[in-house]
Order: sequence, then C-alpha cells, then structure tokens
Amino acid sequence: MPSLLDFMERATTGRIVSEEAFNMKALIPNIRKIVREYDIRYDGENPVSTDDGAADRLFEAALDFVARTGVYCDATNRVIHIDRAEVLEAVQNLPEGSYFGEGRDRGFYRPRQVEDENPPWIQVGSGVVASSEEIAMAQVEGYGSIPQARSVCVPALNQVQGMPAIGGSPLEVYASIASVQAARKALWRCGRAGLPIMNLIASATTAVSTLAGSFPTFGLRLSDAWLVDFLAEMKVNFETLNRLAFLTSIGGNVGSTALPILGGYAGGPAGTALVMTAYYLLGILLFKGAYHMTGPVHFRHGCSTTRDSLWVFSIVGRATSRHTRYPDLALAYAAAGPCTRMYFYEAAAANLACVPSGYGGVQTVIPAAAIVEDGITPMEGLFNAEVAYAAAGVQAEQANEWVNRLLEQYEAGTDDAPQGKRYQECYDVKTRKPSEDYVRLHDEVKEELAGMGIPFQF
Amino acid sequence: MKEKILERLATAVIDGDEDEAREGATGALQNQIDPLEAVEQGLSKGMQEVGRQFEVGDVFLPELLMAAGAFNSAMEILNPEIEAQKKNVTKLGTVLISTVKGDVHNIGKNIVTTVLDINGFRVVDIGIDNSPLVIIEEAQKANANIIALSSLMTTTMPAQREVIEVLREMNLREKFLVMVGGGPVTREWAEEIGADGHGKTAIHAVETAKRLMSQKS
Repeated sequence: MPSLLDFMERATTGRIVSEEAFNMKALIPNIRKIVREYDIRYDGENPVSTDDGAADRLFEAALDFVARTGVYCDATNRVIHIDRAEVLEAVQNLPEGSYFGEGRDRGFYRPRQVEDENPPWIQVGSGVVASSEEIAMAQVEGYGSIPQARSVCVPALNQVQGMPAIGGSPLEVYASIASVQAARKALWRCGRAGLPIMNLIASATTAVSTLAGSFPTFGLRLSDAWLVDFLAEMKVNFETLNRLAFLTSIGGNVGSTALPILGGYAGGPAGTALVMTAYYLLGILLFKGAYHMTGPVHFRHGCSTTRDSLWVFSIVGRATSRHTRYPDLALAYAAAGPCTRMYFYEAAAANLACVPSGYGGVQTVIPAAAIVEDGITPMEGLFNAEVAYAAAGVQAEQANEWVNRLLEQYEAGTDDAPQGKRYQECYDVKTRKPSEDYVRLHDEVKEELAGMGIPFQF
Repeated sequence: MKEKILERLATAVIDGDEDEAREGATGALQNQIDPLEAVEQGLSKGMQEVGRQFEVGDVFLPELLMAAGAFNSAMEILNPEIEAQKKNVTKLGTVLISTVKGDVHNIGKNIVTTVLDINGFRVVDIGIDNSPLVIIEEAQKANANIIALSSLMTTTMPAQREVIEVLREMNLREKFLVMVGGGPVTREWAEEIGADGHGKTAIHAVETAKRLMSQKS
C-alpha cells in the first residue's frame, strides 16, 4: 500500500492543472456522469434507505469516481492519481477496528452493520467555541459524566487573555495548548481521565498549532485522535499533509474527516452521497485513518437534518458498512439550538437515520449549526446517547417511518430555527446542573418519542 | 428569427452548453442583432432562470458554474462588438471578494461569487487566505464598491474584524462597503464588528449587496 511519501511524489509530479480546471473539467463532469452511469437516485420519500442495490451501486460508483478523478493538491496545483486496485487493497487490509483511550476508559471502536444490534460508539460534545476556559471545562466535565460516552469532542477557544486567537498566529498556538489542557483537566475532574479526546485540535487552523498542542507536556496521548480534513471537494493542501506527516511519524490516531457540502461542487443529494463515499476510500488509503468522521452539510441551511441530508447519511452508511470495516462516525448539525423542542426532534431524526444504516458511531448532533459561542451543553449529549442506544437493532424500515414523522414536526421551520440557549443560560456553571426547564423539556420530548414507539433503554 | 436566437442563447445558458452558447452568439451577430440586446434579452434571461432555480433548490453549484461558463463563452464573441460600439453591459457594482487570513475554505466564497456574478455584479475574486492589507490594496485597484469577506471557521472570524479596523486606520472605511459571510457568521457578529451587512446564504448576500448599493446611491 502506498505511503504518504509515495503520495507526496504524486503530489509533486502529477498532472498540473489549475483548481478551476480541476473543478470544471474533472470533478463536476465526473460526478454528473458517474451518478448517471450508476443510476444513483435521491429518494425523498425514504430518508432512511432500505435499498441494498442502490447502496452497492453507490460503493462501486465511488471506487470508479476516485480512480477517475484523483485528489487535487492545491499547494502544487497537481492531481494525485489514485489507482482503483490500491484502494481495494487498502479496504481489504483494514483492521477490525481501532482502540482509543486509556485504562477503564479505553475502548475498541468496532464498525457496525446495517441494523446491527450492538450500540454505536458514542462521542459526546463538539468543537463549538467556548467563551472561556471555565465554560469549556464545565461542558467537558458534563460530557465525561455521561456513562455511555466512549470519547469526547472538546470546545475550541478563540481568545487568549482577551485577545482574539488569530488563525496561524502565536495566539492560536496558545489557544490550542490551553484548550487541550482545559479538556484533559476537566476529564480528570469528572473521573474519566482515560477518556479519549477525538477532535484534536479544534482551536488549530494550522499544522503548527496542531503540533504545538500535541507536545506531551500538555496532556495529549497517542490513544487520543487528531482530525485531518479534506478541502471541499476532493482536495488537500500542505497543511493537511503536514499534519499527516507528523501523525504518521509519531503513531497518532488519525481521524480522517470530510463534510461534503450538499448543493456545492457535488451537486444534489446523489452527487453528495457519491463524494461522501469517496472520502471513506481516501480516508483509508491516503490518510490511513483510525476512524472517519463524516456527514453532509446543506449549503443553504448549514445543517444536516434536512430530508435530503438524512438520505445522504443513510445511503452512505449502508454502502460503506456493507463494503468496508472502517470505523465511521456520523456527525450531524442541527438547525435549532439547545433547550428547544426542535433540536430534540432533529437530533432524534439524525440518530434514527444513522444508527440503523450501519454507522459505527455517532457524535452529539451539534446544535444551532455550530455558530453560537457556548451553544452546546451536556444535555444534548445525553439525549443523543439515549436515542442512539434505542436505535440499535431497529429495522431501517421502522426508522424511516419515525424519521418521516419527525421531519413533519420540524422541516418547515428549518429556515427560521430557534438558536436556543447558551450553556450558561440553561446550566448552572458552578454546580454543572441543567435548569429545571431544560430537564422538563427533555423529559417531555422523550416521553413523546417513547409514545411513538422508540424503545428507549435508559 | 431574432426571437429564436435570443431564446437559443437563454437555453444554452440554462443548459450550461458552452458550444451552443458560442454558436448562438455567432448567429446573433450574423443576423445583425444588437450584441447588447443579445446579452440582456438572451444570455441574461438564461442566467436569471438558473438563478431562480438555484434559489428554490432545483439546481446547485455545478449548474450555476456551467451556466456561467456558457455565458462567458458567448461573451467572448459578443464583447468585441459591444466594445466596438462603445457600449457597456450595465453592472450593479463591483465586489471584491476573499476569504480572510487563515481561512482556506473557498467553496462558500465561490458560490457567492457566482451568484453575485449572475445577478449583475462585477466580481473580483482574489482567492483565499489574504491579509487585510492585500484585500484593501486589491479593492483599491479594482475600484470596488463592496469588500466581501468570507470565513468558514469561528477561529478565523476575528480576521474579518481586523480588515475593518485596518480600513479605519488607513482612513478608508468610508470608501468601501463591507459585508461578511460564512458558516458561523451571524447578523449580530456583523453588527458587532461594524460591517455594513452580512450574507447568511449566497442569495441573501446578493440581496444585501443590492441593498447596500441602493443605499449608497
């Protein structure tokens, strides 16, 4: 299997082409052509797919697409050629899963099958910006207190001593280090010191900040996981490859990640499903990831709980779980924020679309499209875990019925979704307890969903 | 004949067919159709239809880009004739667009660029990861009316504020309208940093740009 150095050779000797020409002469035409050739069709009536034939065609189409298109390196303006046979070899040689964490919090992240009865890996939290280390620590302590949490995503910090952490500056280096230290301390304080942090490093927009925050003094361990992302779509740059060079050299866990834009270069839901599947293959081959974090983001709404986004989640999960053993994590963005009824509906729909479709893990659905500072709390993490466990073993057909009923509740309101409350508005920062109103709302919605037949286990 | 040629131009744009657009443009000139009329009653009508379809979610970025490609192919043939007649295609204004320093995510910016373009703005796209000074110098060179700043990440949003502050320091704040956009950017953020407007989506960005230009005039 080719190493990163082999790919660097291709990135420096491959076909030279402008980014615009790559988009217009290779990326877009290939997506349109291959979607037609493999008859990939969006099925809006069934946001949770039960179509194995379509899933199998999608996987084959993605293989073809990667081999025909390659990956564009925008630092060298060259195309990194990808060979179909080497993709298949990498897929065949995947391990059975990946280990993360330490001590009693160490876990084996195992891929799942469609309608698998095993509960998914639960990743709690998000990289949504926290306004202070105090808020960040309160959030992470709450995440660690959820018994089903197998890993956490921790907040980004966007300021240092009142100064904005300008991307690529020393201030960002400080913010990256501070965010790591705060998260590790919070996990220790809640008694989950071994829990892995899986979104390293949220505050770092540059490779240099990633490297700085990874210095062992600051508390990171090789059993955590670093996110390395593609650029939209089918592109990498030297920041990406620098991170990979570092992580593969130290033996760190790489979380390959790509959030294809529904309505962007990939076009509609069918093209987005194609590109999202292709990223799995590139995550395995090029990034050599220990896990893969993925989900579509709707270009207009900035969320991934729209009907077409849920279908993309579902068909891609079905395709990849039938053909790979790559531990994957569904990452969805809700339009509505914390402490709103709409958020709970959206989060339930996302979990019900993803868990029966075979995703190995699910992350807390990120509230308010991740745009509100301090706009996430442990309550969302708890609710997501509750629904995800309930969805394990559920038939896709049944999940489809529930998701359609949930969509009826919220899809018309996506454009005007309420942004909800910030952590400090619905939690007590000192005691780390949610407000009575929030607990009541959670319980009400859960009772309503249980009334629909969703089999909550806890 | 004239109606058919104008319709052919519009259809070529809607279909994103560059060859057909070039042939339609050649046909227009051969049939003595005013080239400006070929643009306004043919090509632009096609672009408006694609813009409408984009707005309601019937087409996406690829179709927009292909339509823009067909439009530009026809313009390569019509432009020399328009210039020979000393006429101009009317533009609503000039927008200088860039992602801010530290942000390399260009897809949102590219969508906004295309949608502004098809809605009648001249757009100067200087790419990604540009420092405040480069953005301001390029805006001056382009004689821009509006500076549009894109930021996908919360961690790069402060760089939008920095551009506005540098404009103030250079006594150029009044010379340019500034609008901000990108996934995490809200109206509240735009107000906080003293921007003139914000675009929640590409369509919203066009509305904002039109509003700002009309307020200015």
